[in-house]
Amino acid sequence: MNDNDASPVIFLRRIFPLLVAMAALLGIFQVWVPNFLSAANMIDLAQQISVNAILAFGMTLTILIGGIDLSVGAVIALVGTVTVAILSLGGGEPQTFFQFMVALFSGLGVALLFGGFNGICASKTGIPPFIITLATMQVARGCALRFNEGRPMPVPDSQQLYLSLGNGRLFEFLPVPVVIMLIIFVAMALLLHKTQFGRHLFAIGGNRTAAWLSGIPLLRRETVVYMICAVLAGVAGMIHSAQLYSAEPASGAGFELNAIAAVVVGGTSFTGGIGSMHGTLLGAVIIGILDKGLNQAGVHFSLQYVTKGVVILGAVYLDVLRQRKG
Amino acid sequence: MRTRYLRGIGLMVALASGLLLSCGDKEPASQPASGKKLFGVVFQTMNNPFFVDLNAGMLEVIQSHGDELVTLDSQFNSLKQKNDISDLILKGVSALFINPVNWEGIKGSLLQAKEKGVPSIVVDAPVKDDELVLCQVASDNVEAGRLAARALQKVRPDAQIVILHHSVNKACIDRVEGFKEELAKFPEMRILDIQEGHGTTEGGRPVMRDLLGRFPEINAVFPINDPSALGAISALESAGKLKDVTVVSVDGSPEAIAAIKAGKLHSTSAQSPREIGRVAAEKAYDFLAGKPVDKT
Repeated sequence: MNDNDASPVIFLRRIFPLLVAMAALLGIFQVWVPNFLSAANMIDLAQQISVNAILAFGMTLTILIGGIDLSVGAVIALVGTVTVAILSLGGGEPQTFFQFMVALFSGLGVALLFGGFNGICASKTGIPPFIITLATMQVARGCALRFNEGRPMPVPDSQQLYLSLGNGRLFEFLPVPVVIMLIIFVAMALLLHKTQFGRHLFAIGGNRTAAWLSGIPLLRRETVVYMICAVLAGVAGMIHSAQLYSAEPASGAGFELNAIAAVVVGGTSFTGGIGSMHGTLLGAVIIGILDKGLNQAGVHFSLQYVTKGVVILGAVYLDVLRQRKG
Repeated sequence: MRTRYLRGIGLMVALASGLLLSCGDKEPASQPASGKKLFGVVFQTMNNPFFVDLNAGMLEVIQSHGDELVTLDSQFNSLKQKNDISDLILKGVSALFINPVNWEGIKGSLLQAKEKGVPSIVVDAPVKDDELVLCQVASDNVEAGRLAARALQKVRPDAQIVILHHSVNKACIDRVEGFKEELAKFPEMRILDIQEGHGTTEGGRPVMRDLLGRFPEINAVFPINDPSALGAISALESAGKLKDVTVVSVDGSPEAIAAIKAGKLHSTSAQSPREIGRVAAEKAYDFLAGKPVDKT
């Protein structure tokens, strides 16, 4: 009935073309760019996609229930600036774990506030989520620009723990953002494909009225979805600011579109009800390979945009064709 | 059913790790096999003729050596810039030219380049952590700001000025600094407001229009670069105020020179992007040949 993991055959059939596409792209670029598949380059790829993938995981949930969240790019900037502002309190004093935790939770708290607001409005007011989050995007961006007159705020050098979120390496090997991305992926995949909560989301996206009639608490489910999406944007914002050694109130513009691209390339239906976390991860990987490969192949940047657009359109069209058949 | 699902995941993981392992630990080659040198340049934006010219200057020198240059556009996005730079480093460029979006945020990329032994040369807009780079090639932006202020003082000694800033960019911060410094000598000239115009034509136009509404007494604009000057001019034209307001800019782009000839722009303190590009590329060759290179 719904597109949950009840049938692994359907699940594999859905994921398989993405794996083929990924392997094909890797193959093409390995021929085109010497050493494209070297370990160093692949780890770098994982690190590059981490921010977009984390955003896309949250975006998958909102799109799956037939909504969307355009505010994530601005939330990245706002959470980054709030967190770094708190870390900067007290000047150059050595960091305390307490201050680190306060900063972390204030940042995520702000994200929760925005997510909760988006979710309640989307569920209760009847305003399309596109419009709601378009509006909260402006509000979040404005709040971020209140900090430091809109100029970037450096992360104090003493905040090593925070900086390691973006630049550290686990066992001197795996970048911390990649570890965070993988943990979030596993958690989100379990949440979506293995719990009642996840099944409810597929039901809401498939047919909202039917879901309501069968007793699914729409308000609670939808609010939680937007909260998860915003909190993941907050996590991405912290990684982003740590990677840049500074919080940029003007950063994150357009990140929502990249995340949406990963979600739809990953096979999530834009009208809701169909999709998977695995697909989204592969979607983010494919877009990452494309970005990296075209850069390293020395393709002129103007042609890169054209190529990316064509690939996104092609991937989604293939998916539409397959769904029409099956 | 469940085990098949899990087996599917297992297969995926095996496939992915197989890809990683089969290619082993080969380090990226430091140079392409043909013996040609490869260079990379990452600009904060290519939506400004200034950088297109700078790129052309660089290309001239590099092509004359028979080498290659890859140009990338960061679209004012610090994260994209970081990714672009690491792509170039891993591709194995001999030297990297960087025009930073965020003069502090670029630190991670500079550290990465240093770790991999790739010399980085900063062009046009400076970086904060200059000990990490080989050298910085830029025009004197403070002086450019001063020149603009002096030019304005000659025609409008009583100027009521607005500034369209691009505040994350150090070059623009310097221009405004120099401009203000010079203005301090002329107490009759006054800055009414400083607003963010993002240094682009489409960013400058609406901000200028709003400022005109707020301050009817405006008679001068310092839009910090040529694209944003063109935006300001377009706003002034549509408000019918171009005759009463003097626009002074910095860059010296062909479009701005055309605007001066048409009587729309008073002056632009010319910088020579082609020359910056040429000098930067020559410094890279000097360094690779083992010659010492000055920091600035």
